[in-house]
Amino acid sequence: MTTAAPAAVTAPVPGEEPPRRRRVSRDSVAAWGLLSPNLVVFGVFLFIPLLATVWLSFYSSSGFGPREFVGVDNYAELFGDSTFWRATANTFLYALLTVPVSLVIGLGIALAMNKPLRGRGVLRAIYYVPYVISGVVIAVAGRWIFNENVGVINRLLRSAGLDGVPWQSDAVGAMGSLVLISIWTKIGFVMVVYLAGLQSIPKEYLEAAQTDGAGRWQRLRYVVVPLLKPTTIFLVVLGVIESFQVFDIVYVLTGGGPGNATEMLVTYAYAEGFDARRQGYAATIGVVTYLFIAVLTALWYRRQRAQEADL
Amino acid sequence: MISSRLSRRGFLGATAAGALALTGCGTGFALQSGDGTGSTEGRLSFTLWAGEAELAAFRTVAERWTASSGVPVVFNVVPFSEALTGVDANLASNRGPDLFRVTYQDIGIYAAGGALLDLTDLLPGGFLQGFGDAFVSAVQSEGRVYGVPHHTDTSLVLYDTEALAGARIPTGLDDAWTWEEFRSIAAGLPTGDAQFAFGVNWQLAGAYRWLNWVDQRGGRLLTDNLTGPAIDSTAGRDALAFTQAFFTDGLVPPTTSTKGSYVDELFTTGTIAMVFAGDFLLPTIDPAFVSAGREYGATFLPADERASADLGGNAVVATAQSVNPEAAADFLAFLSDDEQQALFCEQATVLPTRTALLGQQLDYAVRPDLMELFVEQATTITPELSAQVTVPQFNAVNASIVDRLEQAFLAGDDPGRVLADLAEDITGRLA
Repeated sequence: MTTAAPAAVTAPVPGEEPPRRRRVSRDSVAAWGLLSPNLVVFGVFLFIPLLATVWLSFYSSSGFGPREFVGVDNYAELFGDSTFWRATANTFLYALLTVPVSLVIGLGIALAMNKPLRGRGVLRAIYYVPYVISGVVIAVAGRWIFNENVGVINRLLRSAGLDGVPWQSDAVGAMGSLVLISIWTKIGFVMVVYLAGLQSIPKEYLEAAQTDGAGRWQRLRYVVVPLLKPTTIFLVVLGVIESFQVFDIVYVLTGGGPGNATEMLVTYAYAEGFDARRQGYAATIGVVTYLFIAVLTALWYRRQRAQEADL
Repeated sequence: MISSRLSRRGFLGATAAGALALTGCGTGFALQSGDGTGSTEGRLSFTLWAGEAELAAFRTVAERWTASSGVPVVFNVVPFSEALTGVDANLASNRGPDLFRVTYQDIGIYAAGGALLDLTDLLPGGFLQGFGDAFVSAVQSEGRVYGVPHHTDTSLVLYDTEALAGARIPTGLDDAWTWEEFRSIAAGLPTGDAQFAFGVNWQLAGAYRWLNWVDQRGGRLLTDNLTGPAIDSTAGRDALAFTQAFFTDGLVPPTTSTKGSYVDELFTTGTIAMVFAGDFLLPTIDPAFVSAGREYGATFLPADERASADLGGNAVVATAQSVNPEAAADFLAFLSDDEQQALFCEQATVLPTRTALLGQQLDYAVRPDLMELFVEQATTITPELSAQVTVPQFNAVNASIVDRLEQAFLAGDDPGRVLADLAEDITGRLA
């Protein structure tokens, strides 16, 4: 009886599928059914445009009319294009200046907002508002603030008897205005994500550290920051991707100038695609930008995984 | 187990039913071809950017034409910065409008790409003979006609009357300031931390206006056959050295380079005493001066070996995708006949392209006294310069002009080196 029972359950009956396979098959159908809406959306709005961009990068095209297949000519031209390399350097610099600073400031604000504080909700909203406002609106406001001739900052400086800052005509000033505006918009989001991370840290860890004699700084340095590592990885990856996609603020605030001092990869792609109407070349810039982001993200994840494995 | 299976089936069934329901709803909301942008039989769709006065004039003309033809005109008004991007996208997806407004500098690339309706045999015989040579040249490509020259704009020097009190103000093209006289007057104006002598309207798409200086010196951007660069010349270097000094000598705000801010606002705020500005800006500038109790005047562009002015303004074209080619051509001819063009120019404060209107006193809505000077300056737009700035690759060439002038103006690079680089860029752009 005891030996026959399992045989009765597992033995395949001729002409009938094994229940396990049937279940797997049903699960697969259900899984594909649930995945398919997302796959369709990703396919139509992400994968197909991505493949089309790669395809277009091998053509010379004004966007309409006949296209001419040029093989890898666009890539060859790109690697010898000094403006492209300047835009690449600017984009890396922009990411390097905005991501770490916005993380540090955002974490500082999150730590402050994580404590009982009168008007905490209002303050959180105030910090978060710039992140949800359109980049174009932010940049237009930035034009009034950083305008070299009639902007708010320079007027205040001049009324105090100081020289105005060359926000528009000097490379450092222009990049500075972009970085300041960008950090202002980013810290709200960083604060909210760090707040979520802080609230998931068990209080017992901090209490145990305090019992062991750890001071406020040591608790932050040796308990809070390590436990926020997944949050930080997420924010760094997202921040770098956002930095490589920056367009609206640059387009409106500096237009890539002076010279090419604030030209970024995406603004350069736009200029080539829509001002110069070289859409094949613009697609090439897009493909290379995509590769930069993919490689940077992969390297960052790999480094983090290696560090976690060492721990 | 059973209940779980049933639940999943139920869920999947509900999902499928929901999807079907959404599909059903979707048919009700499907985009219809020709929903204001695409060409559709029985009407003309017209994509354009337009200020209030311009749009009112367009509508008046369209209503007149509809009254006689019975074909309605549907306007799709978009911001200037997005207009051609939108047209490009619609053309690429085979949803191009019947008609669209286009700068003279952009016609070439659309014509070369086969996007425009060839109007050569559709417009009335001899129709183009009624326009100035420079404008006819601007709407032609390889001997075929692709649009009608709807109006033009050009630049003058506007000045704050009080600031220029005591300076000689030219009253005719023949006695326009020489380069040296202009520079001397500008250098005599008070400048300071936030105060400059003047600003020039060569920002971004307007960078080609720098070519006025080259043309005034007797130089060219492109060779006579328009196939190669001719900018790296003595005239080009002289023009660049002269204009570069505007920045190095602090006569213009450093923010007004080719990638910088538009200059008209600096004139109305009093940051600059003179501005190179197009006639189409008068409706903006005039109220600002009136409300501030200030006065301004206008005079001709400085001249050197000869007088020269920039080809501004717009044409209207029909697309090759139009399903109403005859109606589109008929509307274009009507839109730019003497009577309709006069109406448009008067209401929108822009200049005519029809030779019959050049000698007439039009009843301009804003500063008709200054518009007479603009009309006179427009006579210095030459077919030669017009042909150079309307080659199919001019957008790309203009983008190089923006970059290279910025290099000279702000980085202070040697004019010879900058123009050698520009010539190399142009060779690549024209290839």
